[in-house]
Amino acid sequence: MEDTSVFLLCLTASSGVPLYCRSKGSNRQLTFSVIGSLNGVHMFANNQDVLLTSTRTENSRVVWRTFHDSINLIVMSCENTASDLSLNKLLENVFNAMVLVIGLDDLVNIKNVERLKKDLRACYKLIDGFLTESEKMADLTQCVDCIITHDVTILQECLDGFTQAAESDFGCLMAGGKVVTATEKWWRLASQDVMLLCWLVASLSSHSSRDYPVYLPQGSPTVPHRLLTFQLVSGVDVCILCGPSPSLQKVESELVERFWKPVVDPLKACLRVQLRSFPASIPLHRGIMGLLLVNRDLNKTLYTVQVHPLEDMHRTELKFTLDQRRAALRSFYTLALSHYLIPDNVDEKTIPCEEMFASGFSHHAHQCYTVSSSHKCYALKTELHLLFLVFKPEVPTFSMSTIANKTLQVFTKDFPF
Amino acid sequence: MSAPRPGSLITPDWLLSPEGRDYLTCILRKRKRRTFGLIERPVLPPQLPADVASYKIFVTGKSGVGKTSLVAKLCGLEVPTMHHETTACFPYLPGIQTSCVYWPAHPRHSDRPIIFAFQFWDCGESALKKFDHILPACKEKADAVLFLFSFTDRSSFEDVPALISRTLSQEENVARVVIGTKLDQFMHTDVTEQDIRDFQQTWQVPVMRVRSVNAPRLSDGRSLDGRTELADAAPVLNGLAEVLWHRDQITAGLVDIREGEISSNAS
Ligand SMILES: Nc1nc2c(ncn2[C@@H]2O[C@H](COP(=O)(O)OP(=O)(O)OP(=O)(O)O)[C@@H](O)[C@H]2O)c(=O)[nH]1
Ligand SMILES: [Mg+2]
Repeated sequence: MEDTSVFLLCLTASSGVPLYCRSKGSNRQLTFSVIGSLNGVHMFANNQDVLLTSTRTENSRVVWRTFHDSINLIVMSCENTASDLSLNKLLENVFNAMVLVIGLDDLVNIKNVERLKKDLRACYKLIDGFLTESEKMADLTQCVDCIITHDVTILQECLDGFTQAAESDFGCLMAGGKVVTATEKWWRLASQDVMLLCWLVASLSSHSSRDYPVYLPQGSPTVPHRLLTFQLVSGVDVCILCGPSPSLQKVESELVERFWKPVVDPLKACLRVQLRSFPASIPLHRGIMGLLLVNRDLNKTLYTVQVHPLEDMHRTELKFTLDQRRAALRSFYTLALSHYLIPDNVDEKTIPCEEMFASGFSHHAHQCYTVSSSHKCYALKTELHLLFLVFKPEVPTFSMSTIANKTLQVFTKDFPF
Repeated sequence: MSAPRPGSLITPDWLLSPEGRDYLTCILRKRKRRTFGLIERPVLPPQLPADVASYKIFVTGKSGVGKTSLVAKLCGLEVPTMHHETTACFPYLPGIQTSCVYWPAHPRHSDRPIIFAFQFWDCGESALKKFDHILPACKEKADAVLFLFSFTDRSSFEDVPALISRTLSQEENVARVVIGTKLDQFMHTDVTEQDIRDFQQTWQVPVMRVRSVNAPRLSDGRSLDGRTELADAAPVLNGLAEVLWHRDQITAGLVDIREGEISSNAS
């Protein structure tokens, strides 16, 4: 198997009928016998009252999950950054994506397998996005990716007014696939639901407007709501979650121009921060290559591997490429969360703690770091935030804590996130 | 409503004429189609007059006939193909999606050009069946409905009359246009020219033909050549402009008659 390929299998739990197979980085399909064995070994264990969750070989890792005793998902990954935590997240995201489009009822009570197979094709784009995504972090953190703009106050006002006029409480403004701002109630939806809705909008090709029935995997898995989206300017969409009324036609013809035409310039300005996710005027330490900031209350993240975009642009050959920074940040996040900075409300089933480091102590870690020849990483946990930084290797190890604290201050005092 | 003869109301190659060129640049830049958000409009130099006429067009037809592909083609966007799995397309839409196309044209009897703003409403057939609110939403205030069949699937052609009556009742004042897709697959065609002539004769509905295949790419290897792509889309866009312009004139004519009655009553 090639060293970066990932295979995802979906089967019915009761009879082991394959529903679909998606892959990344490989032209080869898994043979029927491989699919059969992967599922067979899980079924065999099940019959012996053993729950098979994961295994690994020298160069690959396999994770099994059964959802609602109805759907089996299996992932086999040869990526060296793959971990049990990241693969479990992947399977949860994939199942949630299936619920979002199909609804839980049709996944739990499978009446017609052929029909379900056909319906599931509508999820492929979303699922493939989870397999191949490289620009976002939300799939791993389950917190939606955001940006910070200067004009957020005025945009927030427009959004609140627009959402209310559309008879809804749930509104969200997105630029370049990331959230600019959202209404109070939107932030109070389950974080996975928020993440998935934004992921859906970001993964679709450009359209003027949309009216999609969606099931919210946590909030409303069996009763669909309507997700309305409107492309205000190229790359900027406003989304609303609502019930049977108002109609798409009505919102579009009566409300869109009225609320948004006056702020066309601030809307376009949102696109300017894209690479960095926040304005160039926010000062950060030169030694920082990558940043991931999680707001634990609102479940939102700020993420960038282009902390100094101008500087990076001038150097044609990056010492530590953007892809490497991204990979470093992802694996450090995974490491920190599965070993040290255990979230307060862990569900043992969903977050496998590989090494019971934390359980051996009565106190919890608040900071941790790693050092390697190509980069250093530092994580910081506070009441409200989790901050992960990737540093250049020349940054002295002893100074990382100070820099991290200063960085956090920027995003709590000057530009609150 | 009778259909106008193609080319009788709209000058077909007007966009390539010296006068049309200025209008072409507001939708095409550096050989790439411009896209507009809902609060944006094509910008013309101040001395150029143009009225914008907006229309809502609902696109319907059996799953897989090529509704989404047609709309992408008319918008100058990449047509999704099943052939390469990497850019795996969305074979079934979960709901409604709309796309705007701005199309400058010069109606023969108008003293100034008109920018036709077509908003296409596309929904996957499965969503239409699964959710009751979708059909009424697509029909609400629609100016036209496009009924699609595929040249490679005879049953989709034979189903068109039933599709029309399932979608619209006789008295609904909506322009009806039938479009045959996948014309490029002529080797596999299931529907003959004679079939089309007979159909037009019987139902008095205009029939257009399209091939929703991507234009060649520009030298960057990614974006589609906007000019070729526009030339491919032009016959359909002109055809729709013609049908809708014609319908407006009839409607306007009716208004005139009624106004005449009112004034004569008053005197
Ligand atoms: N060769 C060729 N292929 C086409 C044409 N139009 C559509 N296709 C192909 O037909 C398949 C289905 O097209 P879609 O546009 O997705 O069909 P649809 O009507 O939107 O289907 P639903 O959304 O399921 O209702 C795709 O693989 C397209 O690439 C065409 O004009 N020529
Ligand atoms: Mg479609």
